[in-house]
Order: sequence, then structure tokens, then C-alpha cells
Amino acid sequence: MKDDDKRTFRRLARNFLIELLIYAALVIGYFVIVLRVLGDPLSQLFEDNLVGYAVASLGLVVAQGVVLDYVVTLLLDFFGLDRLD
Amino acid sequence: MEFPIAGVTINPVLLAGVGFLVGLLGGFFGVGGGFLAGPLMFWTGVPMNFVVGTDLAHMTGKSIVALRRHRALGHVDVKLGLLMVLGTIPGIEIGVLVIEALKASEAVDLVIGSIYVVILLAIGTFTAIESRRALRMIATESMEIGEVLGFQGVARRMRSIRIPPMISLPASGLKEVSLWSVLGVGLVTGVLAGMLGVGGGFLRMPLLVYFLGVPTHIAVGTDLFEIMFSAGYGTLAHAINGNVDVLMALVMHTGAALGAQIGAVSTRYFAGPRIRLFFSVLPFVGAVVVLIRLLGGSPI
Repeated sequence: MKDDDKRTFRRLARNFLIELLIYAALVIGYFVIVLRVLGDPLSQLFEDNLVGYAVASLGLVVAQGVVLDYVVTLLLDFFGLDRLD
Repeated sequence: MEFPIAGVTINPVLLAGVGFLVGLLGGFFGVGGGFLAGPLMFWTGVPMNFVVGTDLAHMTGKSIVALRRHRALGHVDVKLGLLMVLGTIPGIEIGVLVIEALKASEAVDLVIGSIYVVILLAIGTFTAIESRRALRMIATESMEIGEVLGFQGVARRMRSIRIPPMISLPASGLKEVSLWSVLGVGLVTGVLAGMLGVGGGFLRMPLLVYFLGVPTHIAVGTDLFEIMFSAGYGTLAHAINGNVDVLMALVMHTGAALGAQIGAVSTRYFAGPRIRLFFSVLPFVGAVVVLIRLLGGSPI
């Protein structure tokens, strides 16, 4: 491996580790919100109204899908870790 | 940490790790990864009916994002996808009915677990054979005539089935195809989705390419389009029957979102049939994991 390639690889690896740490911190914060804040209301909805629970579940997974894609893309772009497309 | 809806205690970091692994594989190999997420969830101690419903829920969020990219590239045959959905919805309902019947007879873990083992062994074997064939082709820089004619012959025979009404699918370059073939593909993969909680891409893709004759790049995009509907509808159908722990799905998806992006980027650096040969080991690992649980092994 040439020196330039080594430097690029080291930079990418460092940025990747930083990105992982930031993402891990975000995810831990998110766990607290989801499991503590949404846990009880969703469990109650599951017990009382399964149709309402089904609609809420679908809405939550779709919303999270879009938001997380945005966050991850932002982090990858910020640290120069390209996306496939 | 306790997940009160499914009634199990699992470390959320472990669940996010499972999501990450599945997302990584999905991003790298272009598969949904449900066939691996299911066994891993089962291994962590989640009851099989919740494995099926929750796996579909976690897949819904992922497929919307993946579809957005393929739609932008023009790789989706919307007409084909919507027609398949018409077959998928009754298929999912059949799968949900099977799960409910198995729940009532308290055999859901054993029966669905056994089906998982059979399917995982089949996927692993097929992928290993296909990769070895590709490696041989690269080594000899040729393809045996039997291999070419074998596949083309099967595909031609399948496409010669002409049960009216015949429809055209211009986006896929198909002038005539039986509507029943399209609905049949949707139905079969819908049953798989409803019963196992998988997207069914491992079966839908070969059916689209070899059975209907859809070009591979269109098949990939249309497969994702179909997964979005089948996973979304499956989530609703299973949640109404109390088989979805959405908290678990949300936690898993946090890992999957990152894994999918890293997996997609990794394809630039690692690719080829040798990697696919490695991939063929994973379904066998999944089968072993399910077998361990079925034979009474304690969850991790």
C-alpha cells in the first residue's frame, strides 16, 4: 500500500470510529426516550386497543425509518464516508 | 431490560447489535436479512409469534428508505409491484391465520422454527453452489453450455405458461405475461412473509427473473417496492393479532440503519463470488441457532 493510500485509509478509519461513537451516543439517548417515555403508553395501548396499537406501530417504524436514514446520511457525509449512491 | 409487550427481558444493546448485523448484511448483499434476523431474535428468547410480527415491523422502516433510492434510479416497475401486492395481501392473511392456529395449539415455536431450519439450509446450499459455479467460471473464463441452456430452458418453459388474461409490463420490457403468474408470485411470497416474518426476496427475486423474465435491476427495485407493502401490511395484520413488539422493532432498527449504510459502502471495497461464498455460511449459522433453541438450548 502506498503512503497516500495508507493516510487515506487511516483518515477514513478514524472518521468511521468517530461516527460510530457519535451514533452510539445518539442511540443510547434514543433508547432512554423510546423505552422510558413510549414504553408504558404503548404497552397500555397494546392491552386496550390492538387496532390503535397496530396503526401507531406502523406510523412509528415508518417515521423512524425516514429520520434515522437522514441522521446516518448526515453523519456519513459530514465525516466523508461516502454512500453507495 | 424488560420488553413488556412481548414479555421478555433482553439487553437493548444486543437487539441493536442484531439489527446492525442484519442491516450490514442487507446493505452489503442487497437482501432484506429477515431470514437471519428471525433466528437471531428467536435465539435471544423472543417467542416465535413475536419474532414474525416484529421482524416485519423492523423491515418496514428499512424498506422505505431503500426503495426511495431505487425509485430515484428508475429501477421500479410500479405496475408489476402493485399487481403482485394484490396476490401478497391474501398470502399474508393466510400466513397470519397459520400463526394464529399454531399459537392456539402452542406449536408455533416448533413448527415455524422447523420451517426456518429447512429454508435456511436450502438458501445456504443454493448460495454456496452458485458461488462455487461463479468462481469456477472466473477460473476457467468460460461457462459450461449445460449451465447456460439449463437455466434458459427452465425460464423458457415457465414463461410459456399462457393462462389468460395476458398483460403487458412495458417497464420490465415484457410484452405478454399471464396475470395469474404475477399474482401467484405475490401469493407465495406473501404466505412466506405472513408466516415467517421475512421479506421473501430470496424467493421473489429468482421468481421475478426466471419465472416472469424481469431484468435483474428492475427485479431488485420492484422487490423492495413489494417488501414495503408486504412488510407494512404484515405489520398491521400481526399487530392486530398481538404479535408485534414495536419497542423491540424500533431498537433493532437503530442498529440496522447504520449497518445498512456501512454495508452499502463496503461493497466498493469487498465484492465478488468469494464474498458470496462467505455469505452462504450465514444461513447455516441461522439454522444452527434455531436448532439449538428448538432442542431446548437456553436463550442468550
